[in-house]
Amino acid sequence: MSTIAPARVVLEAAGIRKQFPGVVALDDVSLRLRSGEIQALVGENGAGKSTLIKILTGVYQPDAGSVTIDGAPVRFGSARDALKAGISVVHQEHNLIPQFTVAENILLERIPTRLPQLVDYAAIYREARPWMKTVGLDMPATRSVSALSAAQMQLVEIAKALSLQARILLLDEPTAAITPHETGYLFRVLRELRAQGVAVVFVSHKLEEVFELADRVTVLRDGRNTALDHEIKGLTQDQMVTYMIGRSDVLAQLPARPARGEPVLEVRDLATEAGARGITFSLHRGEILGLYGLVGAGRTELAKAIIGELKVTGGDVLVRGRSARIRDLRDALARHRIGYVSENRKEEGLILLHSVLTNMSITIWRRLRLFGQWIRRSSETAAVMPLVKQLDVRAHSLAQQVGTLSGGNQQKVSLGKWLAADVEILIIDEPTIGIDIKTKNALHELIWNLAANGKAIMVISSDMPEIVRLADRILIMRNHRLVGDISNSHDYEEVSAAIMSRLS
Amino acid sequence: MVAIWRRMSGVALGLLIVDLAGALLLTVVTPSFTSTYNLFITGRDFSILLLVALAQMIVLAVGQMNLSIGAIGGLVAIVESGLMVSYDTPVVIAIACGLVLGAACGAVNGLLIHWTKVNSFILTLGTSYVFAGVNLGITHATPFYHIPGAVASFGQARIGAFPEIAIVTIVLAVALAVFLRQTVLGRQLLAVGGNPVAAALSGLPVRRVIVTAHGISGFFGAVAGTLLMAQLGEGQPTIGVTWILPSFAGPIIGGAVLAGGSAPLLGTVFAMVLVSLISDGLILVNANPYWVQFFVGALILGGVLLGRVRAVGLRDVFRLKSTAPPVTDRPAEEPVPRRPAEQK
Repeated sequence: MSTIAPARVVLEAAGIRKQFPGVVALDDVSLRLRSGEIQALVGENGAGKSTLIKILTGVYQPDAGSVTIDGAPVRFGSARDALKAGISVVHQEHNLIPQFTVAENILLERIPTRLPQLVDYAAIYREARPWMKTVGLDMPATRSVSALSAAQMQLVEIAKALSLQARILLLDEPTAAITPHETGYLFRVLRELRAQGVAVVFVSHKLEEVFELADRVTVLRDGRNTALDHEIKGLTQDQMVTYMIGRSDVLAQLPARPARGEPVLEVRDLATEAGARGITFSLHRGEILGLYGLVGAGRTELAKAIIGELKVTGGDVLVRGRSARIRDLRDALARHRIGYVSENRKEEGLILLHSVLTNMSITIWRRLRLFGQWIRRSSETAAVMPLVKQLDVRAHSLAQQVGTLSGGNQQKVSLGKWLAADVEILIIDEPTIGIDIKTKNALHELIWNLAANGKAIMVISSDMPEIVRLADRILIMRNHRLVGDISNSHDYEEVSAAIMSRLS
Repeated sequence: MVAIWRRMSGVALGLLIVDLAGALLLTVVTPSFTSTYNLFITGRDFSILLLVALAQMIVLAVGQMNLSIGAIGGLVAIVESGLMVSYDTPVVIAIACGLVLGAACGAVNGLLIHWTKVNSFILTLGTSYVFAGVNLGITHATPFYHIPGAVASFGQARIGAFPEIAIVTIVLAVALAVFLRQTVLGRQLLAVGGNPVAAALSGLPVRRVIVTAHGISGFFGAVAGTLLMAQLGEGQPTIGVTWILPSFAGPIIGGAVLAGGSAPLLGTVFAMVLVSLISDGLILVNANPYWVQFFVGALILGGVLLGRVRAVGLRDVFRLKSTAPPVTDRPAEEPVPRRPAEQK
C-alpha cells in the first residue's frame, strides 16, 4: 500500500472559485496531489467534482485561485495546454475512434510518418506495443477499437494518456461501466502506475472502491471542501458519508412491508432471441423482486423480452394469470399495465430537449384526450403536478427542459411517467446509476412505498448494497440463465456471500 | 395575441424585428415596395413558399428530411391539371385527387423509411426522382394549358394587396399549429422527433407518427403545387423544382433543431418573410436576379451558424474541439455514467 519514495507534491490547486450564471460551482476549493499517490475525489452529484476536473484540465478557467505544477503556477487556456503539462483525463465517454486500431488510437496525436506525411504503420504498431503492455492489454495492436469491451477501451485511453507522458492521470468514474472483475484488473493497473510514480485522481460514487484503492481522499460538498487530502487509513465509511452529505444515517435499513399478494407476472421456461433459456420466476403484488447480475449477464435483455421489445422464442409470460403475448411496450402499457424504466435514461428514458411536463405526461396522452385527439394542457398539468410534488422533482417549472435537470431529478422524471400511467407492474433497470446518496435514498424509499401500496416491482441492479437493501427476493442471473432465487434476509454479509457463491 | 407574444422564442422575436426593419428599409428606399401590386406579388410567392417550408418543418420535427417536396408538388399539379384538362374532371374532384396523391406520396416516403431504415435524406432523394420521373413520363415536359378559369382566376384573385391564395396558407398554418400543440398525435410527433427510442419505450406508436409526419409533408407540398398551378394558370411540369432551398431555409433559419423534436412554426413564418423581403428587395433595387440565390444561400448559412452559436456559445463555434460541450445551460452538472448495452 505504501509508496516507496517520499511523495512530492506535483499538482496543487488552491482557493479555486468558479461561478456560473446563477450558481457558485466551486468556492475556495483545494486539491493536493503527490506523485505515486492515488487521491480519491468524492462528492455527490452537483458537488463540483466535474467542474474541478474541468478546471484542472483546462476546459474551464477559474475565476479565482491558483493551480501549480511542481510548484510553478500554471494557467491553462485549453485542454491542449493541460495535456502538454502532463495532465491527462480519462472520461466515462470514451474519446476513441472506434474504426481505428488500438495502436492508431494510442498514437493518434502523433502518428509516426515515413517521408513527409506517409503513415509508417510498422512504427505505429511497434511504438504502441510497450504502452499496451504497461496497461496489460494483451491483444494484437491491429485490433479495431470497436471490437473492445468498455473496460478494454478504458485501458486504451490510459495507455494513450501514458504515451503522452502524462504524470497526472484523472479518472472520471472509471468503474461505472465495467464489471467487478474488470474493476479488479483496472485497480491492479492503477497500483502499478502508482508504483511508477504517476499521480492518480480517482473520481467515484462507490465508496467501497474508494476505500479499496485510494491512499487519500478529497471530499466536496456543495462546491466546498469538507475534507482535503485526508488519509484513507483510519477513516470509516460513516465518516466519509458525513463529509459528503452532512449526516451518516441515510442508508439505514428500510422498515418491513405487508406480505406480498397474488402473483401478477409469471414467467415460465422463457427463451429469448438474446440467448436466455429456461427462465422461470414469478412477481407478486406488493413485492420488490431483485434481479442481480453482472453487466453482460442478460438482465436488460430479459426485461426487454418481457415487455415485448426483444423477441421471445419459447416459454410463456402470464400477466394476472393469463397468457400474454406482448408485442411491444405500447402493448405492455395499454393492455397489461406494465412499465419499464430504462437503465439509460438519457438515451432511452427521456426526451432531453422537452419539458418535464411532456416527459411525465407522455404515457397518458391517450388517456387524457377528448374527442379522439384533443388534449388540454390544464388536464396534463393536473395529472402531473401531484407526482412532481410526490417525487420531489427539483425543477423551476413544469416547462423546464429535462436535459437541464440533475441526474437524480432526471431519474425521478423517468420514473414519474410510469406513476402517471399508474402501471401495476414496474420493471426498473438500474434505478440509481450515477446518482448521489441522498437522491438514491429518496428513490429507494419511493420504490419501497410503491410496493407497500400494492405495485409489483422488479429491480434490476448490479449494485449489490442496493439489491440487498431493497429486494424481498433476489434472482441471480449469469450468462443468460437464472442461477439462484434467494430470499433476502437484508444481512449484507450473508446475502452478498450467497450471491457471490452462485456467480462463481 | 398576448399568449402568442409570450410564447415566442428568441429566434422568432429576433426574426420579427429584422423583418420589420427590413420592411421599413424597403419602404424608404424603394417607393414601389409598398405599391399594391408589389405587395400582392410578394405575398403570393410567400404564401406558396411558406407551405413548402412548413412541409419541410414537419419532417424535420421527427428528425428526418424530405427532399421530394418539390417533386410531389410538381406531380400533384400535373395530375390535377391533367385530370381537369384531358379528362374534364370537375375541379373539386381533380384537386381532391391531387391532394390525396400528395399525402400518399409522403406517406410512402415515411413507410419506406420506417421499413428499410434507410436514411431519409437518401430515400427521399430517390423518391423525388421517381415522382419527377412520373411527372415527365406523363407530360413529356409539356404543360397542361388552359386549366378551368375558376382555378386560374383564384390564383390571381386579390382583395386589395391581399392574395386570396394566402387564405389557404393561413388556414393550414393555424391548423398545423393547433395540431402540434393541442392534439395527441401532434405531441407524439414532437416526442418521437425528440427521442425515438424513449418515445417507443414510453408506448408511443412510432411508425404511425413517422408516416403521419411525412403524409402531412406530402399534403402541404401538394397544396403548394396546386396553388402554384392556379397562379400560373397551367400545369407546369417544372413546378417545385426550385423548392429545395426555401424548404430548408424557413425551418433552419427559424430555429429548428435538425436532430428533431422541435417545430418552430412562428420562426419559420418570419424566416420566410425575411427570405421574401430579400428576394423582393433585390428585384426592386434592380440587383442582378441571378444573385438572389447567393443571398438566400448566405442567409441560410448565417441562420445555421446563429443556431450553433446559441447552442454552444460563440467561443466554441470557432474553436475546433474534439468534443462539443453538452447543450445545456447548467455547466456544473455531473455527468451520468453510461453503460454499454449488455452483450449477448
